[in-house]
Parts: sequence; structure tokens; C-alpha cells
Amino acid sequence: MSSLLVFRRMLVEEYRMHTELFGRGRFVGFPLFTAALVAGGVWLLEATGTNLESIIAGLFVLVFLFGLQVGTIGLIGRDAMRNVLGDVTLLVFSGRTLPISRRKLLATFLLKDLVYYIGLFLTPIALGFLPLVTTGDMSLSTVGVLWIALSATFAFGAGTSLALAGIATRNVGAIVALIVILVGVLVAAPDVLVALSPYGLYANPGIESAVASIVGVVTVLIAGPLLFEPPTSGGVRRIESRRFNHLADRGGVFFARSLLEVTRSSGSVWKVIFSLGILFAVAALVLERVVAATALEPSAGIAFGTLLGLGAFTTYNWVTQLNETREYLRYPVSYSTVFAGKFRAFLTLSLPTGVGYLALAGIWYPRLELLLGVLIFPLVSIYVFGVTAYLTGLSPNELLFNTPLFALYGAALAVVAVPLLVAALAFGEFPRYSVGFAVVFSVLTAAVGAFFIRKSGPRWSRRLR
Amino acid sequence: MPAVETHNLTKRYGDVVALDGLDLSVKRGELYGLLGPNGSGKTTTIELLTGQRTPTSGSLSVLDMDPVSDPIAVRESVGILPEREDPPSFLTPREYLEFVGEIRGLDNLESRTDEWARKLQFQGILDTLSSDLSEGERQRVMLAQVFIHEPQLVFIDEPLVNLDPLMQAEVKTQLRDYCADGNTLFLSTHFMAVAEELCTTVGIIAGGQLVAERDPRELSKGLLETFAREVQLGSERDDELMDQPKTGDRLEEASTR
Repeated sequence: MSSLLVFRRMLVEEYRMHTELFGRGRFVGFPLFTAALVAGGVWLLEATGTNLESIIAGLFVLVFLFGLQVGTIGLIGRDAMRNVLGDVTLLVFSGRTLPISRRKLLATFLLKDLVYYIGLFLTPIALGFLPLVTTGDMSLSTVGVLWIALSATFAFGAGTSLALAGIATRNVGAIVALIVILVGVLVAAPDVLVALSPYGLYANPGIESAVASIVGVVTVLIAGPLLFEPPTSGGVRRIESRRFNHLADRGGVFFARSLLEVTRSSGSVWKVIFSLGILFAVAALVLERVVAATALEPSAGIAFGTLLGLGAFTTYNWVTQLNETREYLRYPVSYSTVFAGKFRAFLTLSLPTGVGYLALAGIWYPRLELLLGVLIFPLVSIYVFGVTAYLTGLSPNELLFNTPLFALYGAALAVVAVPLLVAALAFGEFPRYSVGFAVVFSVLTAAVGAFFIRKSGPRWSRRLR
Repeated sequence: MPAVETHNLTKRYGDVVALDGLDLSVKRGELYGLLGPNGSGKTTTIELLTGQRTPTSGSLSVLDMDPVSDPIAVRESVGILPEREDPPSFLTPREYLEFVGEIRGLDNLESRTDEWARKLQFQGILDTLSSDLSEGERQRVMLAQVFIHEPQLVFIDEPLVNLDPLMQAEVKTQLRDYCADGNTLFLSTHFMAVAEELCTTVGIIAGGQLVAERDPRELSKGLLETFAREVQLGSERDDELMDQPKTGDRLEEASTR
């Protein structure tokens, strides 16, 4: 069977899956929206004094993480996929019925992901930098190099996730050792990793960096499909504890089920900690850059509390990821009860994680000031839960390619983020006003969030019926 | 009063007409089978009757309740098993039945769970994570959640799917016993043998309309032949056919041709 034929069919399959999920019109508009969002975001960050190179460095991190996620989403999370999409069978799973080897299918699947996402996602991101060409802040050739380097970074992430998953299924000790080595190199000699990654091609364009990034990307793209083994059942898991009953006694059955689904699925609670950790790292990076590039003395408490609170949408995603939305319509229970249970699970997971990161920030920032973050973070989290539940129900993944919904959601978060971050920046000049405003505004924000939580149940009950 | 009754029930999804004026009446204590080809409206019918969707027009009643205005009351009184529904992957069958039982406000949950696990022979996997169960084991767990609250009326889409022959025989016995106690069973299936063997009345649905309805034991020809003929008639129906009486008369005509 021709690999080209399979490749083309996989492209069509991916497109149909997305248009089926999000509607063709909304999906087709997503690249345009991405380009506009990047252009607007770059302009806004530059207007607040953020260095262009810092913005681009952050973008490379995000694209790498996106590559990591895309590389394995259709392969490892099949359970989650079935719960979200219903009965879905992708061509990549047909190794036992088609006369084509599993590794060849996997390599074709990976290539399809690269072409698909470079076309629909990374090209619009690079195009978002074109306005800077007209203002003379960037040359057209630099935008071209940026596009190539971002595409290579995405490929690097996708290949890396497959290779790491492959190593992990063979030897857990090896994966731990590899991660320790990578973190060690990152801390001891970050320049080495940068030089070997596609970011090096953008930061220092030249023959050496081009060769280094090509070698790195090609290596993981070959190693990924070769090393990856589909997860097989690790035996029959028996659970005789009374954890479900204990949790249900404390917060109800929807709370108990949500928590157990998060803790028993791949990654357990670590996925919650990891995803909020990325937001924490981005917040720390932005704060450090703002302090270095401007004369402002922002409030770390307000800034961290706000950004971590906004980042709690990742926790919302985890507590709803294994749900088939219509399932709850078959029980004699209102959607309000379902959302109430999800809300308790969300708070149980996100609050200790966020407070933990605020405590970690205490190593570098004034601890007394961070107490403000301990107050603001849960209040903003309540708002985020309310808005996400109201707009997306139990399917937050829909945000990914639903352009109008994504824009609305972004606007709803910006309404809260902008005033609070301005208050954080004004802290050095007007500490009392800044703190007073942040506290009052956060309380109001939480009240609005509670309003949305109350409205979410009836809204989704109506919409789904 | 019938257990289930619909009048001119219509459901549209955009331009697609899923149900086109469905008239249906199921007596209490009946074992009613709804047969029809893919896309004929079987799933939509069950979703409307259990308040999972609202109709575009028409009226319906389930156990003298209105699933549109009071869906939760209807769901409290009935059991529902949709097609290809699995228990949640990361709960054990025991935890899932406790989850369903708590939602339904049941007492003696432990003994109810043990009783249904024994009846459907899955005591040995009560504490196994559902993601590690076979398809047949998952179906048995889903059947248990249908009956655990002893409902008066049950809606099941394909009750015997994925079950081995011995378990199929056991489930058939359970379903007959359930109806013998005066309860009503409404099942949707593609399997003629299941409908013929189990049901006291079979309705054939095609193009969103009930095109025939009969006791399968009274048919002069086999159910398969009747089904094929009626479905073909349903798909080719024209104005003349639309004017004819919809239920028993047409089946009679079809089966004596």
C-alpha cells in the first residue's frame, strides 16, 4: 500500500475530525484568527515594554510544548479520545488490518501532523509577525527564519514525545535518568541545549546552527516511531479500597468520580502540577523581564495570583477530560449538581497546587507580598471555572479550533487579566491603591464567576437537549 | 394508561428529519421491540422518551409523566442503557454502581450491588478497574445499572451485544422475569432473533415513522421478511402510502401479499 495514499487519507481524516468537532466555518477561520491574535499580542506586549526577543523565546517554548502534546495525543490518550469524541477509529490504529507496518503508519502519522499543524497553526503564527516588517522592527528574511525554526521546534517536540514515551515503556529507570540529565544540562549549561535546538537556528542563524537543529530534529523524528510502542495493558488493576465512598461522603459522587478519574488516568495529579507549573514559569519569566526592562516595581503577589488563577483553566480541562457530555443526561440529576461536583474537584486540585507555586515564588520574591497572591489566586480561579463552565460546558477542548468561542473566551479572561496586571504594575507607584483595587476587583470577579457557575447547569441542560 | 405514548412526535436536527410524526403506544407489562435500519430514528425515539432531547413538535408521555417538562422525574422512574455505553474507565464496577445508586438515592446499595453482580455473574470483577474489563463484562455492568433501582420501565439499546451465548440466555431470562412482574421493557435492536424470541410486540420504524406493529408470534411470514418488506415500503413511501393507516393494517397487507 502506498504511504503517500495513507498520508493523504490521514490528512483528510484529521481535517474531517476537526470540522466535525468544531464546524467547518469556525475551523477554517482559525488560522486567520491565530495570525491576528499573534499580531495583537506582540503589539500589546511590546507596548508594555516587553522585549521582542523575550516574546519570541516564550513563543518557542509554547510551540515546543504544543509539539509534545500533539505527538502523542492520538496514540496514548485513546481512552480520553473515545470519551471526548465518541467511537473514533483513526487510520494510525489500523496496523493489524492494513498491509502496512505499524512503524510505517506511525511515521506517516507523524509526518501528517507536521504538515497539518505547520500549515494551519505555525504558518499563521509566523504571519502574525509581518506587521513588524512594515514598521521596520523585523526583516522579511527574519520572519522566514522564524517560520522555519518554529516549524522545526514543533517537529522536535512531536518527535521527542514519541521517543520519550517509547523509552518510558521499555525502561522507567532510563526515562528518569534521561530527564535528570536533561534538567542537569539545562541548569548547568543552558546554552548547549539552545545551540542544539531549533531555537538556536533563529537566535544565531548560520551553517552550524542549521546543521545542529537539522540533526536534532531528524534524530528525534526517526527515533520516535522506532522507539514508540503502543501502551499495552499493564495487567488487570484491582482496587479494593473505599476511596470512592470516602470522597463521596465529603463532596458528593461527582466530586469523587472527578478526583478518581484525574488521579487514576495517565499522569495522575502530576499532570495538574505540571500544567500549572508551565504557567508559573511563564509568569516568573514575564515578571523578571518586566523588572529588568522597565523602572516598574510590580507586585509579585498580584501578578502571580492573577496569572496562576487564569492558568487554572488547565485544571478545568483535567477534571472534565474523561467525560462524555451527554452521559449525565441519562441520570436523574440536574447539570447544576454535576457542575457543583466538578467545582469542588477543581478547587481541591488547583488550590494546593497554586498555593504551592506561590510558596515556591517566596524563594525569590517578598513573602509578605505573596500573601496577596494567596488571596487573589482562588478568587480568580472561581471566575475562570465559572466562565469556562458557562462557555464550554464539559468540553473545554472545543476552544481549540472554535474561533468565535476562542475569541469570546480570550476576551472574558482579558477583562479580568488586564485590570489586575495593571494594578500589579502600578504597585511600586501606588501601593495602597493597587492592593485595594486588586482585592476589591478580585472579590467582584469571584462573584461574577459564582454567577456563571449557577447559570452553567441550566444553560447546558437546555443546549444539550 | 399506557407506559409509553406518543402522538405525532417529530424531531428535526437542522434540515434532517429524524422522527416524522411518530405515533406509538406501549402497554404496561409489555416487552416492546423497536426494529429499524440504521438512521431510522430508534435512538432519537429513546432519547426523546427519556428526556435527553426535546421534540420539535408532538406530544409524549412516559408512565404518565412528561419527559419534556419533567425529565428528571422520568429518569428517576426508568432505567436507560444507550447503545455502546461503557462504565467510566477509571471506576470499578462496584464504584460505578455506588455512583449510580447514590444519584438515585438508593438504600442497601451494597446488597443491591452484590445481588445484581450475582445475577449477571460478575462478582469476580467488582473491584477491577472498568478500563481493564472485556466488552462483555462492561455490558453486564451496564445492564446492572439499568435494573439496580428496580424501575417500572426500562429502555435498552441492543441488550445482548457483546455477550456470550450462555450470558445471552441468562439475560433473556432476566428480561422475561422482569416483565412477568408487571414491568415494561422497551428495547431497540437490529437482531431479528432477539426481537422474535423476546418481544411481545414489535414495531418497525423506517424514515422516522412507525410503519408496522405486531405480535411477532402472529406473523404468517418470518419477521426478517416482514422487516425487509416494510423498510423498503417505508423508504419508497409516497403520498398514497402516507394516507394509509400506519400500523397493523399495513403489516397485515404486507404479510399476506
